[in-house]
Amino acid sequence: MLPRPALCLVLVTVLTPLILTQALPQAQPPELSWSLKYDPTTLDPAKVDDQASELLRYLTGGVLLRLNRRTQQIEPALADSWSISPDGRLVTLHLRPGLRFSDGSPLTSRDVIATFTRVLDPATAAPVAEEFLAPREVTLDSPDPLTVKVHLPRRVVSIAKVFDEIAIEPAGRPSASRVTAGSFTLADYKRGESLHLLRNLYYWKHDSAGTPLPYLPSLRLDILSNREQDQMRFVRGRYQLVESLPAESFSVLARTNPDSMHDLGPSLNTEQLWFNQSPAAPLPAWEKAWFQSRAFRVAVSQSIHRADLARIAYDGHATPANGFISPANKLWYNPHLQPIPLDIPGSLRLLAAEGFHKQADRLLDHEGHPVKFSILTNAGNRSREKMASLIQQDLAALGIAVNVVTLDFPALIERLMHTQDYEAAILGLSNVDPDPSSVMNIWLSSSPNHQWNPSEPRPATDWEAEIDRQMNLQAAAPDPATRKRAVDRVQQIAYDQQPFIYLVYPNTLYAVSPQLTGVALTILQPGVVSDIDLMRWKGAKP
Amino acid sequence: MKRIAFLALLTLTLAAILVLTCSPLGVVTQDRDHIAASSSRQHPTGTDDLGRDRTLRLAGALLIGLAGSASAAALATALALTVGVLTAFAHPSLRSCLLYLGDLFLTLPWLFMLMMVRASLPLTLPPLQSAGITFLLLGLLGWPAYARVCYAEASTLRDAEWLLHARATGLPTRRLVQRHVLPHLRPLALTQFLICIPAFLIAEANLGTLGLGVSEPLPSWGSMLLALQNSAVLASSSWVYLPIILLVTVLLLLEFLTLEVD
Repeated sequence: MLPRPALCLVLVTVLTPLILTQALPQAQPPELSWSLKYDPTTLDPAKVDDQASELLRYLTGGVLLRLNRRTQQIEPALADSWSISPDGRLVTLHLRPGLRFSDGSPLTSRDVIATFTRVLDPATAAPVAEEFLAPREVTLDSPDPLTVKVHLPRRVVSIAKVFDEIAIEPAGRPSASRVTAGSFTLADYKRGESLHLLRNLYYWKHDSAGTPLPYLPSLRLDILSNREQDQMRFVRGRYQLVESLPAESFSVLARTNPDSMHDLGPSLNTEQLWFNQSPAAPLPAWEKAWFQSRAFRVAVSQSIHRADLARIAYDGHATPANGFISPANKLWYNPHLQPIPLDIPGSLRLLAAEGFHKQADRLLDHEGHPVKFSILTNAGNRSREKMASLIQQDLAALGIAVNVVTLDFPALIERLMHTQDYEAAILGLSNVDPDPSSVMNIWLSSSPNHQWNPSEPRPATDWEAEIDRQMNLQAAAPDPATRKRAVDRVQQIAYDQQPFIYLVYPNTLYAVSPQLTGVALTILQPGVVSDIDLMRWKGAKP
Repeated sequence: MKRIAFLALLTLTLAAILVLTCSPLGVVTQDRDHIAASSSRQHPTGTDDLGRDRTLRLAGALLIGLAGSASAAALATALALTVGVLTAFAHPSLRSCLLYLGDLFLTLPWLFMLMMVRASLPLTLPPLQSAGITFLLLGLLGWPAYARVCYAEASTLRDAEWLLHARATGLPTRRLVQRHVLPHLRPLALTQFLICIPAFLIAEANLGTLGLGVSEPLPSWGSMLLALQNSAVLASSSWVYLPIILLVTVLLLLEFLTLEVD
């Protein structure tokens, strides 16, 4: 037994810190921290080809024009004005006066030309160069230190957006994100561990009160592939944001951190089911006939309870889908498309018109073959596995027997892309770019990624030929209205023919610490940090 | 103890059969109004994340697991016994070959082989047949370690004086093995069989957590344990721990059976 004075001393020693930590507001973390799943594949902004590298370029790279992730409009950045000639072949950009790189050296048209020359050089192998269509024929000149003229061999639709992907670097000394003209500069990179970014003291942007931006002095991005660990660190306050949250984790975190959780509604991503319509597929002829039948595909589509998929497979954090462009893509979504109805009697009528009939709860085709097929999806994606199981029960109402098969990704890709030995599959498509040109490879019938019937020598059906025409039209049309009409038409054909049976748009889910203010959450990448310049700690002086 | 363990296992098995035959629901029936629900009159141990009754799924997993593991164990034991005895009584050159063959099987990356075989199965194969093939593969790949034990025991018998006497009477090797060796190996085989059952039960559960075991919508220990990886599922109800409690109980009971044989 301790003597009384000693007991008091122990109590004071133990309780004082506890009381103080309860009474005082929670201390600010030293820097804004979050995690990346993988290392960036490159630090060179010209060679960006993955999401982690793209984020690094967004945070560090100074670009001439910036795509506003909220409005999807192009805004001035290093260039304070720009113009495009009527024939679309000359882009003139005027730089802001007094621009500097993070090392204090001046940024002039000479640096812009050097950067573009390097990007367009085939030896650099810059992925963004392809967006100029004929990169070798692009030329640049500069009548004065603040003006740059880009001469294009032919019109490039959405050329202004391409400037958002080219970070200007000092002429003759590319620095792998260490000397930049963006908000931050890379201070330290430990492979497999973390990236440390410091504020660019010479950044051109100021807030309305004239305070230099960004407000945050530094950022830390840990490399962490374990998503559960990422969420635990957020709960403990070590990280201040979590991006791309799975739906079930969102619900768990929301129980204890309701103020931190944000569901922005449908993302640009889609989850879809499709049937193998390839004539080369090693499937019986009668199965190919089912899958090539529009009535069969529509009947299956109308029998899927999409609201249940969203509620059960995504814990309510998904939106029933009706097309390949999500309503989050405000510029390109076709609002005239109706939600796909749940209509079992209608589906049975459609099937009956095609010669299908029910016998003892089994659906048979006109030759008497029982209708059964397998749905393939990747093992480990619980939401997709759940959707496949739910669809299995939904289609039982039509008398269709479905076998759900999960395979590891390499085995799945082998079947989908090479052997074509599958009947139906459920997979998703992550859309980073809202422009429909980014999904040309899915919709053009000649493409190997035209999943339901890859690499067609010529369009197998009239509606596929029409999709080809409209997609090529939207890729080349100079005016936005013509492009929009073409993309709306493709959406309507896809809705009518259902080559992809769209299931849900998973919602965009983020966790952001309430200690942060000035956060502008966007559906487009890079999501939470889209407006990194204006983010700051609550209560911190600007 | 052996009798208690056997009776407990029998009771569990009969209870599982009773639950499956008496319930109006099926193991795959989805009650979409009660997703990840806790205990209720309709679902005494709650439902899983697709609204399927947990009691029924547990009963199904128990029966599939025990039947599949017992079959695989019987196959592995039979193979081990055959190879072990053949090796012991074979010509020395053939004996070396058979021993090398056993060693080769032991070195095979069986997990990747299982993945390869699963990937090459016809996609339309019904889940029950796919489960059967999984257990068949476990049986076909599980014999080499036990064959070594059988070989050691059969070699001891082969060199025993009483067997030399039997051989001296002119009894052919086949009859010798049938009449004298195999009866002496029966306790060993029974022990091996009982050891194999929990090992295959665990193997199926492990494969299930990798998505390679008994495929959905059939219930299995693996798929039920897989759900425990998800913190959202853990937070939904205490009943989610029931599969692991029952699996540990079954494994302990099987272990008690083995100890008694020893």
